[in-house]
Amino acid sequence: MAAEILKTKAEQGFADQFTAGKSALPGAGNAWAEGLRDAAWETYASVGLPHARVEEWKYTDLRRLLSEAYPPAPALAEALNGDDVAKALGSVLAGLECHRLVIVDSQFRPELSDLGGLEGMGDIQSLGDQLSSPADWLKQTLTQITPQQNDTVIALNTALMSGGITLRIGDNVVLDKPVHIVHVVAAKEAASVTLRNVISIGAAAKVCLLESYVSLADTPLQRNAVSELIAGDGSDVQHIKFQNENMDSSHLTSWMTRLGADVTYKAFQFSIGAAVARNQIFVTFAGEGSTSHVSGAVMGRGKQHNDTTMVIDHAVPGCESREFNKLVLDGSARGVVQCKAIVRKHAQKTDGHQMAQALMLSEMAEFDSKPELEIFADDVVCGHGSTSGQVDDELMFYLRARGIPEPQARALLIAAFVGEAIEKVSSEPIREAFRSMSETWLEGEGA
Amino acid sequence: MLEIKNLHVKIAEDDTEILNGIDLTIPKGEVHAIMGPNGSGKSTLAYVLAGKNDYEVTEGSISWNGDDITELDPDERAAAGVFLAFQYPIEIPGVATMTFLRTSMNAVRKARGQDELSTPDFMRVVKAKAKELNIKDDKLKRPLNVGFSGGEKKRQEILQMSLLEPTLCVLDETDSGLDIDALKIVAEGVNALRGPERAMLVITHYQRLLNYIVPDMVHVLSEGKIVRSGGKDLALELEKSGYAEYGEAAA
Repeated sequence: MAAEILKTKAEQGFADQFTAGKSALPGAGNAWAEGLRDAAWETYASVGLPHARVEEWKYTDLRRLLSEAYPPAPALAEALNGDDVAKALGSVLAGLECHRLVIVDSQFRPELSDLGGLEGMGDIQSLGDQLSSPADWLKQTLTQITPQQNDTVIALNTALMSGGITLRIGDNVVLDKPVHIVHVVAAKEAASVTLRNVISIGAAAKVCLLESYVSLADTPLQRNAVSELIAGDGSDVQHIKFQNENMDSSHLTSWMTRLGADVTYKAFQFSIGAAVARNQIFVTFAGEGSTSHVSGAVMGRGKQHNDTTMVIDHAVPGCESREFNKLVLDGSARGVVQCKAIVRKHAQKTDGHQMAQALMLSEMAEFDSKPELEIFADDVVCGHGSTSGQVDDELMFYLRARGIPEPQARALLIAAFVGEAIEKVSSEPIREAFRSMSETWLEGEGA
Repeated sequence: MLEIKNLHVKIAEDDTEILNGIDLTIPKGEVHAIMGPNGSGKSTLAYVLAGKNDYEVTEGSISWNGDDITELDPDERAAAGVFLAFQYPIEIPGVATMTFLRTSMNAVRKARGQDELSTPDFMRVVKAKAKELNIKDDKLKRPLNVGFSGGEKKRQEILQMSLLEPTLCVLDETDSGLDIDALKIVAEGVNALRGPERAMLVITHYQRLLNYIVPDMVHVLSEGKIVRSGGKDLALELEKSGYAEYGEAAA
């Protein structure tokens, strides 16, 4: 007789949401969409929320960190205008010249978006609409991109996803401005937002995508967002995330990326918000000759918990991967970097290297770094490194001997540390925006 | 005028005494050299003048132009006109040289009650001084000292010294690691800064540097004390006899 597993309050909450709400979720009535949800729910429910005894989640115990499941954000269109979106983004990013897609809670809001110039270049739809009458390409893409569909948080997302967008960029399209997908929350009371974006980049296209996750108010939020991205052969994709959700938020995002042949993929995540953030990045090399650089900067203070977990799957020969993450941790903030590189048996000539570095500004801060290499091929170059340290006294003395007062010298050195990661952002306006925001973060140091 | 009176210094961490009662006066307009064997306390004296907190002054005082600076922080001393040219200039990855120079100059100017420099003025003065020191533009764009040769780092020190317009210059083994051409460039840069309002303390192990920066006085430091003082010829004498009589075994 199988024993019933005791559910936590949050797990019971999600179960109630699925049972009571699934008939109202987008795609209800469509056999394919319902089938996806039911299968995903079974996968999720067989294990429940991940906890410390699950290796991939050992530092981010969701059973402990999620005390309850907030109700889904109401689907009614909150009255929101462009100024609200700009306020949530902050002036630096609001001023970014871009093609802008705005998603409020989980609903795509064309009237807040600015898609001028994208005509003929790509196709943008609301995922909700697509689930009701799915096109073939979506069926071949959604949940099909990387092997991580059974990750419990992603399965939970598949079961409960209530919106998001699909974005398809045509072959050979070169966009001169970034596509900025703004995720903003407008719910007036504690809410959960579960959304999914599906992105397909055509062969030889050149695109810079920025996903921002920001809050308008201090309303507690549980975010579960997944972006699935397919990069066509020969494409050049920058994929960037900015996360500055409020300090009552939990932020679970998963990027699942599949790269064709000869792709240049540069991912970067800049995280300064949320009480609990788990940034999952899963990259699968499906074609030879591709390059994936995944970098990030985390700045945490107070009791913030920020976990970046990567799996880079070299499924084919001759690809290069680099992971480079820098964390600045103050107060009793905790930073986690996990990166597993898998080199499959036939993936000869793989070149992989990962580095994670933390700058600890306080005795109470904590950094957990876990590199994992699973190498089955015999002709590969793979390496990993990790460092943690404090602001260097010798550097401080040098700067002060040149007349720079202590707080300014300290800020300069911290900015320099995190700047080495931000440097990895190829898009100049986004790089400069992140640099400016990292300096603003530092001005709040000790506040 | 620099006045060091009965200066006793120990390492803050382990109480090791390094300086045991130094008395030294350098009037404005003069260049004094300190020579001495390894371990005599030369670099400690340089660091203590700049205010490094690894050291603790247990007795005595340092004053510059009549103001006691013994308790000042390093940035306050820089504002007061003290400049230490490091024996081993520090590499700072991630900080562009120009950003650093600008931050430093403006901090010092602000502390001295001067206006901050405008961007064009700043660029002009840096480029002019850099040219005099044979520092190429691309070095100014790089992170501070990162990947620079020993000579390039020393020239950066002298560039900073000329930009910050200090009144008390302390040069700690500025000749170490320099070939003769680099040494000449650095010495010319230093000599250009000699003037009636400026005092200099040149610390060196070898007499060679003093051929190019000719001192008014030479002092010999041994076991944390000044044991002998004289004119510039004292340096030549030391070059011949070595430091054997000052506690260092002959090589």
